[in-house]
Amino acid sequence: MKKWYKKLLTPVLLCAVMAAAVAIGAVYFGFISKRIDEDSAVHLQEIYGQVNNSFGSFVDRNWGLLNEWGRRFELAEGLDRASVTAMVDQERERWGFSEFYFLSADGIGMTPAGEKSGMDLCGSGDGQSPREPVMAGQTLPSGQEMVVFAAPVASGEYDGFGFDAIAVSYTSADLAQSLNVDAFSGKANCFVIDDEGGVLLSTRTGGNVFRNYLSYLRAASDLTERELADIQADWAAGTSGLVRCRIGDVVSCILYQPVGYQDFVLLSAVPQSAVSAGFLSVQRTTVAVLVIIFLLVGAAAIGLLLLRGQRLSRKNQTELQYRERMFDVLSSTVDDIFLMLDTGEYRVDYVSPNIERLLGIRVEDARADIRVMEKCTIRDNVIIPREELDSIPLNGNKYWECEYRHQGTGEGRWYRMTLYRMSIQDVEKYIIVLSDRTLEQRMNQQLQDALNAAQSANEAKSNFLSNMSHDIRTPMNAIVGFSLLLEKEADDPEKVREYTRKITASSHHLLSLINDVLDMSKIESGKTSLNVDRFSLPELLEELSIILLPQAKAKDQTFTIHVQGAPPEQILGDKLRLNQILINLLSNAIKYTPEGGRIEFLVCEVDHSAQSQYVKLRFVVRDNGIGMSEQFQREVFAPFSREINSVTNKIQGTGLGMAITKNLVDLMGGVIQVESKLGQGSAFTVELTFALPEQEEKDTWYRQKITRMLVVDDEEEICLDIRELMRGTGVDVSIRTDGAAAVEAAVQAHRNGSDFHVILLDWKMPGMDGVQTARAIREKVGRHVPILVLTSYDWSDIEAQARDAGIDAFMPKPFFASTFWQTIKPLFTREESRPVEAALPAENVLAGRLFLVAEDNEMNAEILTEVLSMEGARCEVAVNGRQAVEMFEASQPGRYDMILMDVQMPVMNGYEATRAIRASAHPEAASIPIVAMTANTFAEDVRNAMDAGMDAHLAKPIDLDAMRQIVGRLLAPGAGADDDKGDSIS
Amino acid sequence: MKRGLFSAMLLGLAMALLLTACGGDTASAPAGDGVTLTVLGKKTDLEKSYMTRVFDLYEQATGNRLEIRSYEDSDFETAAAKDFADGKAPDIFLHFHNADLNRFDVAENFLTLNDEPWVEDLTDGALAYCQDGRGDLLGLPFWENSVSGCYYNKTLLDSLGLLPAANQTEFDMLCQALAETGYTPICWPANGCSWMIQFALDPVFADQPELLEKLNSRQIAYADIPQVTDMVQWVADAADKGWFGGSFLQTGWDEISPALASGEAVMALIWDTWFYTDLEQDGQYTLDDFALMPVFMGTAENGTYEGGNLNMMMVNKNGAHVDEALAFLRFCATPENYNAAFDGISTVSCFKGQTTNIQSGMVTDAAASIAANERVSTAASRIVGYSSDDVAAAFEALLSGRTDVSGCVGLLDEYRLAEIEAQSAADQP
Repeated sequence: MKKWYKKLLTPVLLCAVMAAAVAIGAVYFGFISKRIDEDSAVHLQEIYGQVNNSFGSFVDRNWGLLNEWGRRFELAEGLDRASVTAMVDQERERWGFSEFYFLSADGIGMTPAGEKSGMDLCGSGDGQSPREPVMAGQTLPSGQEMVVFAAPVASGEYDGFGFDAIAVSYTSADLAQSLNVDAFSGKANCFVIDDEGGVLLSTRTGGNVFRNYLSYLRAASDLTERELADIQADWAAGTSGLVRCRIGDVVSCILYQPVGYQDFVLLSAVPQSAVSAGFLSVQRTTVAVLVIIFLLVGAAAIGLLLLRGQRLSRKNQTELQYRERMFDVLSSTVDDIFLMLDTGEYRVDYVSPNIERLLGIRVEDARADIRVMEKCTIRDNVIIPREELDSIPLNGNKYWECEYRHQGTGEGRWYRMTLYRMSIQDVEKYIIVLSDRTLEQRMNQQLQDALNAAQSANEAKSNFLSNMSHDIRTPMNAIVGFSLLLEKEADDPEKVREYTRKITASSHHLLSLINDVLDMSKIESGKTSLNVDRFSLPELLEELSIILLPQAKAKDQTFTIHVQGAPPEQILGDKLRLNQILINLLSNAIKYTPEGGRIEFLVCEVDHSAQSQYVKLRFVVRDNGIGMSEQFQREVFAPFSREINSVTNKIQGTGLGMAITKNLVDLMGGVIQVESKLGQGSAFTVELTFALPEQEEKDTWYRQKITRMLVVDDEEEICLDIRELMRGTGVDVSIRTDGAAAVEAAVQAHRNGSDFHVILLDWKMPGMDGVQTARAIREKVGRHVPILVLTSYDWSDIEAQARDAGIDAFMPKPFFASTFWQTIKPLFTREESRPVEAALPAENVLAGRLFLVAEDNEMNAEILTEVLSMEGARCEVAVNGRQAVEMFEASQPGRYDMILMDVQMPVMNGYEATRAIRASAHPEAASIPIVAMTANTFAEDVRNAMDAGMDAHLAKPIDLDAMRQIVGRLLAPGAGADDDKGDSIS
Repeated sequence: MKRGLFSAMLLGLAMALLLTACGGDTASAPAGDGVTLTVLGKKTDLEKSYMTRVFDLYEQATGNRLEIRSYEDSDFETAAAKDFADGKAPDIFLHFHNADLNRFDVAENFLTLNDEPWVEDLTDGALAYCQDGRGDLLGLPFWENSVSGCYYNKTLLDSLGLLPAANQTEFDMLCQALAETGYTPICWPANGCSWMIQFALDPVFADQPELLEKLNSRQIAYADIPQVTDMVQWVADAADKGWFGGSFLQTGWDEISPALASGEAVMALIWDTWFYTDLEQDGQYTLDDFALMPVFMGTAENGTYEGGNLNMMMVNKNGAHVDEALAFLRFCATPENYNAAFDGISTVSCFKGQTTNIQSGMVTDAAASIAANERVSTAASRIVGYSSDDVAAAFEALLSGRTDVSGCVGLLDEYRLAEIEAQSAADQP
């Protein structure tokens, strides 16, 4: 309301001022006009009063002239034409009349030249001459209108013409010239009329067309008959008057005054505008001056207002430009798009320039049609539904979350569209703000993902803890339970052994569980590192076979190892971790493959060239086990994940094995993939790149004169693999797939005098197995050809039978040329070959040994003491590293066979103690075998132990078999302390 | 009268078409022992009653025979010129003294008649009409005559207290005074009529024959003649001041009579015989209410009257009977013969001794003024290429506001030159 009032205040005031000025002006000019009319009338009367006076004088002069002439004629003695003509001509020059007449008594006029005409000057129609001076109108025979002044004179005679009056005539032009009436710029008509309105003369230059002015006024003016009668009465009464009337379209002043002669009236008709011209000129000038002043003041005021407005406008414009520029700069630096729309036609009034950067839409395109933004929409085809727009109340707002695609980059971005409806200078507008919420959205998504992951991890850990609780309690329950039973049944040796075996098994499971947890924890903490060293791939595979084959055999599973191509045998890598990876995969395959199933382990070279210093190897572990669901395949490498089903629930596991495997593969820069179908089996593929050591010389085969060999296996693929592996050795490989064919081939070769230099037989073949085939070959060919058996199985059960049949040695699958060479080399060097036996621990390896045991834990020390005692060995215990060092230094050389060194001990730990021993002056300081015996089981721990100068690593709790193997190896005759250094058995 | 004349000509033409075939026609002359004179003229002209009367009187009185040869009006000029070219020129040749006469090599073919005894008997207007630019009389005017001027309603004017004008100033004053009374001062038939213009142009070319010669020889144009511009300007001013009334653009021939008879209009630029033939007889004002004053249109201070367009008899100086032909003219110019021929014919006199014709009182009353201010009809008849239709068109453009004064003058020139070109093209064999 207040705004409305303020808006109208100024115009209302201006209008009031102007109205007041106009009213004052109107009153003023009305007054002025009235005064002008009055003054004009006076002025008119004055002018025509003078005219009247002049006319009176003119008449008087004429009559005076005529009287004078009359007297002159009276006195003259006879009027001759010449003198009269001369006199008349002279006077005409002086007075300006047209003609002179002698008038006879009967009304005939005669000019000095003798021309006669009838003249009715008295208006009686009887043609009498005037008896007193008269003034009358007269029409000449030519039609010309004349005014005649006549006066009686003494009777006389001229040229035989008797006269008693004389006259002079004037034309209107003559009179006008004589009267010299030229008032009002020729716009006035001035007549001498009689009291009937008849025009005697007109002073108008150029002529006269008015015969009777009263008649003319009756026809042409707006005067009524009564008014006309009044006027005529005035004329008759000799009264002056002034009337205003409209003649045609012109307002005129009619002024009449008696001439004073007869009933003649001097009448003037002047347009009011001409009468008032002078006054009106003053009035107009005054008005003009006032108007000019008013206009100047107004113009000045308007100018000032305009100037002020212009300045204000310029200032506003400048500020607007500043603001627009600042807004453009601001909007170009932020990720918010601003638009202003018309509410009616949705015409774009403004769009911020950053729309091109943020949405890839040109500003001009957006300005032309807002619907261009529809191209950016991802989910909807409209930017904002019209009903949504219309539903926004004035001064209200709404917002939406929407996703737009950048037209240039195709990138999808999230925006919050806030729409305001407001009135700007009484025009409703929509203001749209598109705020880029992509980062926020992504952050929210990441947070959500993290939350989900955390929840998932938490859930997994909860599950893990639950599992662990179950998994730990299960062996612990067994250990505790069987320990109780053992105590009760201590007198029954069978039950004691049975309970002890179950307690041991439970303990081992519990130990593996703890190892996995610790290993995973170590990997996740980022403390795991690789110990890259040269190792033999065949040895690795052999060890795997040794470890896993019994497990597969226990489940009656077929476990085969295939080597495709010719992968390098010596590579650089972390054998321990690779071993861990493959054991995890293979043990899982065995674990999750039902009895009688099939596990295949394939090793092949993926990418290697002769010039390359690296080789990429692919390890494929394939089984036909229970397989995995697709969902679990996506989570199989996640820690603490185990597929829950009726089968897996019966299988012990920590859910960490595959996670550890994945992390180790990642650590080694490789990839691991899984393909699986539920109920059909799984295939894990690991690809790893290894550096290659410098190549060894490979012409040893030829030097040993081994150029021909026979390979016999019912699986031809294996035969072909062996041939491939032997390529490059110069050895010609013949293949047979059954025993009989092999015998025949051997016999035939023998007959040809080209015996095979070595024969390699599979053990288990249909028909004749390897032993039978060997026996047949020996019978027909003799014993000079070495025969080896290649097997994936434990050959200890048939070893005696095989050797009896003539088999010289056993070789584990898979076949490697290097292993093959190592196996047959003793045969060709005539040395006794114990290729397999050497690897096997002796039964009494511990008997009679004296160990220096450094163990701070009294219980562990006691257990170890008892165990070793049971094996026929003795030990002396030091409670810390320092004491161990002191005891060693104090000992006689040869007293101790070996030092079993705990690592974590008070006073001095195992590493420091080892270094102290190695650094001591004792004669056996360098040679005494020191074996780490610790719960620190990680590879780093093994490496640290080796670095400290230890010879091997035994993980706690002590596995007696592992101890036997290490002791047997380290204390074997000829075994140096450096041989096979770094063995770790857990 | 001119319209009536035109109607009569059309009727005569129609009758001629019914009675004769196209082409020339030779009327049989009465048999006798005298000379046979050949007379050549337009068919309708020769059929006028006063013509046939005088022919009969001549043959009866002299015993000579007249061989009357005529052509249809539309073919007359061409056919007659061919006769002259082919050596078949008549003894007596009837022709209006207009621009077409130049096609007949006047100096070579016709006698000048300055010394004929009947010259003194001719009225000034008639004499002037038949003279060429050098003052030589070319023929005997033997035709209906009329006076064109400003005819005004004297009754109405008297009732309004007004007088007729004696000069241009008074005329303008009168028009203004009449306008102030609410009457239409001048009935101006702007719709297709243009004779008013030729009235105004007459004094320009009659008073200054050299202008006519220069105009016809294309040495000058209308635009070079100040009086022409003055006249156009006067018309434009009069229209602006309302002197023609409010509907003059729709006023044509048919509206003149009602306007004058009703008193709606006070004056008209017309001719005397129009009042006998065209003025409504049952109107408020009749013939007796009208009088005549000169035409004032800015080209003559004291005004002008236009004399009639007269057919004149010319004598072939190369003919076989020149003397007989001259005698025939003298016969016709004898008072008793022309009074016998024009007995009862409404016409202004061509001869001073003409007494049997019916002459308007309006003309008689204005005789002095007519004698002082009459001009030969010059513009329409002697300006080469003059076309009343073209003039009407040019002024219609002016008065309807499509052009201004100079533009109107330009149009007059443009149309006239176009007409000349058209005539030249038509004359090409």
